[in-house]
Amino acid sequence: MSDNTTGRHTMRAYADELKQLHTIVLEMSERVRTQIRDAVNSLEHESPDEAWLVFEAEKRVNELDTSADDQIIHIIAKRQPVARDLREILAVSKIVGDLERIGDLACRVARLTTTFYEGEHLAPSAQMRRDVPHLAHFVDEMIDTATRAYDTLDLTLALQVIERNEVLEQEFKAALRRISTYILEDSRNVGCAADLVLGLRALERIGGHARNISRHVVFLVKGRDVRHKGREAIAAELFTS
Amino acid sequence: MGGGNRFSLPQAVLAGESSARIERIAERREGTVGDISVAEPRMTCRNVDVYYADKHAIQDVSLDIGTNEVISMIGPSGCGKSTFLRCLNRMNDTIDICRVSGEILLDGVDIYDRSLDVVPLRARVGMVFQKPNPFPKSIYDNIAYGPRIHGLADGRAELDGIVEDSLRRAGLWDEVKDRMEQPGTGLSGGQQQRLCIARAIAVSPEVILMDEPCSALDPIATARIEELIDELRENYTIAIVTHSMQQAARVSQRTAYFHLGRLVEVGKTDDIFTNPRHKLTEDYITGRFG
Repeated sequence: MSDNTTGRHTMRAYADELKQLHTIVLEMSERVRTQIRDAVNSLEHESPDEAWLVFEAEKRVNELDTSADDQIIHIIAKRQPVARDLREILAVSKIVGDLERIGDLACRVARLTTTFYEGEHLAPSAQMRRDVPHLAHFVDEMIDTATRAYDTLDLTLALQVIERNEVLEQEFKAALRRISTYILEDSRNVGCAADLVLGLRALERIGGHARNISRHVVFLVKGRDVRHKGREAIAAELFTS
Repeated sequence: MGGGNRFSLPQAVLAGESSARIERIAERREGTVGDISVAEPRMTCRNVDVYYADKHAIQDVSLDIGTNEVISMIGPSGCGKSTFLRCLNRMNDTIDICRVSGEILLDGVDIYDRSLDVVPLRARVGMVFQKPNPFPKSIYDNIAYGPRIHGLADGRAELDGIVEDSLRRAGLWDEVKDRMEQPGTGLSGGQQQRLCIARAIAVSPEVILMDEPCSALDPIATARIEELIDELRENYTIAIVTHSMQQAARVSQRTAYFHLGRLVEVGKTDDIFTNPRHKLTEDYITGRFG
């Protein structure tokens, strides 16, 4: 982690507490990315058993989310953080919330597998579901970049994620258009197309949470709340002052 | 301007100075971060330097103190914050080896003008110290002393009124009204400090300087003083030196951070404690090594 964040604190215990929070964020990020990959693999392998691994993994992510909140409450009560410590704690509080939601949404993707392959439900063709791994790979990269932005306090990376989210929105719309062609081709596809849309929507939301994480990194580094600003406004604010 | 800040950064770089030293030189060359001026200044300080013999204790400090604001001065021990505070009512005059240069104006008038009498100045710019220091007199006489010597009361009834009003403003009246003839030194620490604040108020100051006024008090007494500071702000301008970051955050509207005799940063307290602009300020308030 960056020394700029918690390095050389006079109170070593305080620095350790901040470092623990930092570690929780990194672990949560790694775990939810694994959840997304496992969810997609379960769909590719048409394996409900693999999907259940995703649901199981969600428990640990939830524990980490709760643990982060507990630690944040204790740090505020004991240390009265200010300045970058305060911003770091507020940012982490929001980042872990976003990561927890990503975990939930990964479960939503895994549920496609159990829906399609655990019962008598009509399953989509590999061709029809191909946008799921495509978008999953896309958002996985976004989470990775957002996490590195947090870890290294790199605003260029943070801005990259915000930019990538705009591309993701286009990809999502394109995927919806493709799905609709399958419905037009064969009305029996309506059922699984509706489920796929929900899965794709979950992946699109995951990208939104990765973008949120990047915005929290901007707040952490610059002390500016850019949650409701567009990419160009954020870029102008970050790199012209 | 202060005469002690003449460094040549390019020369230092060419001479192969260590990066740490170059950084120190660069830091010393920097001016104050943030806006030193306010729309309605009660006091205006420009290019203030203070020397204790050869020691350059305050270096080229410029700062406005706004009307009816509480400004807190923070910084590590020996940074010059108390020295600067004491310049504001010429308390440093009492130290033989101390020399002050620059300009300090109260309502536009230079308080270091040779023709200015420091006694009325110190009535207009009152001071409350770290350790409560009531006179060894009755509670009444502690408050009445200033109005008497400054001739502010015409008769006993008026003096009684000033004493009661001062004690009420200091939030002490109800606790002492039935024992006004008892010695001020018999009060608790927190009450003694409020007595000292009442004593300062009694001579109708425009500015009250407070040098770590709560450092000898327990949290409850501290809270009462902080509440009092907030109430006093309606009528007075208050400059407070404190080692408690939380106190500065709680009571002041602006905060000034001093480091090694320099005013490093000044700004709105809300900004200083959430997003300070200077690394030294950030390191200090977050408890990191400088």
